[in-house]
Amino acid sequence: MPAPSGPDLPTFEWLGDAALNVRTPLARELYASLRAHPLPGVQEAVPALDLLTLLLDAPTAGEAVQETVAARLATLTPAPGGSGRRVVVPVTFGGPDLDWCAAHAGLDRAAFVAALCAAQLEVAFLGFTPGFAFLTGLPEPLRMPRLDAPRERVPAGSVALGGPWAGVYPRETPGGWRLVGRTAMNFFDLSRAAPVPWQPGDRVQFEARA
Amino acid sequence: MTAPLPRASRPVAGGPLATGATVLRAGVQTTVQDAGRRVRALGVPAGGAADPVARRLANALVGNAPDAAGLEVTLGGPTVLFHEAALVSLCGAPFDATLDGAPLPLWRAVPVQTGQTLTVGGTARGLRAFLAVRGALHGHEVFGSRATDLRAGFGGVQGRALRPGDHLTWSPLPAQAARRAFIAPDLRTPTGPHHELRVLGTGDLTADLRDSLLARPFTVSPQADRMGARLTESVAAPRDPTRPSVPNVPGLLQLPPDGRPILLLPDAGTHGGYPTPLVVITADLPRLGQLRPGDTLTLREVTREDAHAAHLAQERALRQAEWMLRQAVVSGK
Repeated sequence: MPAPSGPDLPTFEWLGDAALNVRTPLARELYASLRAHPLPGVQEAVPALDLLTLLLDAPTAGEAVQETVAARLATLTPAPGGSGRRVVVPVTFGGPDLDWCAAHAGLDRAAFVAALCAAQLEVAFLGFTPGFAFLTGLPEPLRMPRLDAPRERVPAGSVALGGPWAGVYPRETPGGWRLVGRTAMNFFDLSRAAPVPWQPGDRVQFEARA
Repeated sequence: MTAPLPRASRPVAGGPLATGATVLRAGVQTTVQDAGRRVRALGVPAGGAADPVARRLANALVGNAPDAAGLEVTLGGPTVLFHEAALVSLCGAPFDATLDGAPLPLWRAVPVQTGQTLTVGGTARGLRAFLAVRGALHGHEVFGSRATDLRAGFGGVQGRALRPGDHLTWSPLPAQAARRAFIAPDLRTPTGPHHELRVLGTGDLTADLRDSLLARPFTVSPQADRMGARLTESVAAPRDPTRPSVPNVPGLLQLPPDGRPILLLPDAGTHGGYPTPLVVITADLPRLGQLRPGDTLTLREVTREDAHAAHLAQERALRQAEWMLRQAVVSGK
């Protein structure tokens, strides 16, 4: 098929009869755009890495949505600055896997903590559990292999590293990432006007506390 | 620290319990549900009644909006004492239900008098039913929905399943007489014990998986809840530890490393990292809510055109039924 192709052109893939996967490096920008200006036929947009899943009002809405999304994407440009917001997460380092991770990175404990706090992280997308954010931007030496067998219980507030990601478990759940610290910050609190304090595109920085 | 059990004989007129209803027995797992929420982008599952057809028809029967909150009953139902008159309807699996001991018909609007006790027992087939109360049940509203999220612990009644002593209330609506209304049986969600679910393949569907998933019957395991229904038989699952997490959609069939497929229900997590070779078509999603441990099911691949046609036919029939029930409300017949 002589359709135009290139690394930046979106691809559309059906996921069942009522959802479309849109793969594009502009997934985050498209998500922000759809939030500001919803498209008819799209009930919900769910971001992942370079991917936006659109849940449609009706299975039959798909063909039209595909065209309008492609048109919308053509108006968007990369926003490398993200959302412009910055979230500082105070962390008490010392989780059960901290020493293992430092050794894996070839650093001593203090140097590992300093490197992690210096990392410019960014919220790629939210998912897994309410308020959980997949944080991207870990430098290569700080990327940790996941546990072979997930822990049945990871305490709420645990700061963790898994594969290319960093994250904070908002509540006690099972989890397979390496635990390096704790934060008292609550990432899902229904008593607040905005229960989830971060969103895709926010810059995130860990700050070591005693 | 349990609340004292109110008794049917206790005088309630004029007291704080003179409105609403009190839960005397909670049932196996009774939760407040509605149409669910749309905030997956915050990591929050959709939630909502697992059999949306039962929810819509039960609400229509009592003159509620289609997304109004009611009680989702699972396997064994609750016993509820009414402190005020109400109009209720119970739709879904064929549960045994009684009102002050007399059989309560399903798929009907039934008037309840002050002081009467509604008991929902068990069901021989299917798993869930939806009990609507005219005026819509109250409950903790989170992100635009009163649906109970059991895992995260919010929505509905304190984010949990009902307990004895819970007090249920609803919004007043002008009284409506229970009218004779008949809901065609073929509109109702089938309740097994054998299910055929129509599915569409995704990019993860290989020839091997097509052969192993579509060729044989599966059994619903005891691990069947509002998050997902696990199947007993395993297939050879592809393994890819580097696979990124991607958004889930309703009806997705997930294939974890042990090869025992999981069909995702409304409380499933928003994202998943396992291969997902199949998705149940929209028209068959309500059937997932009726999968009962021990039921068997087969997965039949259809085309997207088939899926669209099935959805349009189902939606047309449902809307017509809802419209007719509402017309009857307007004319007061």
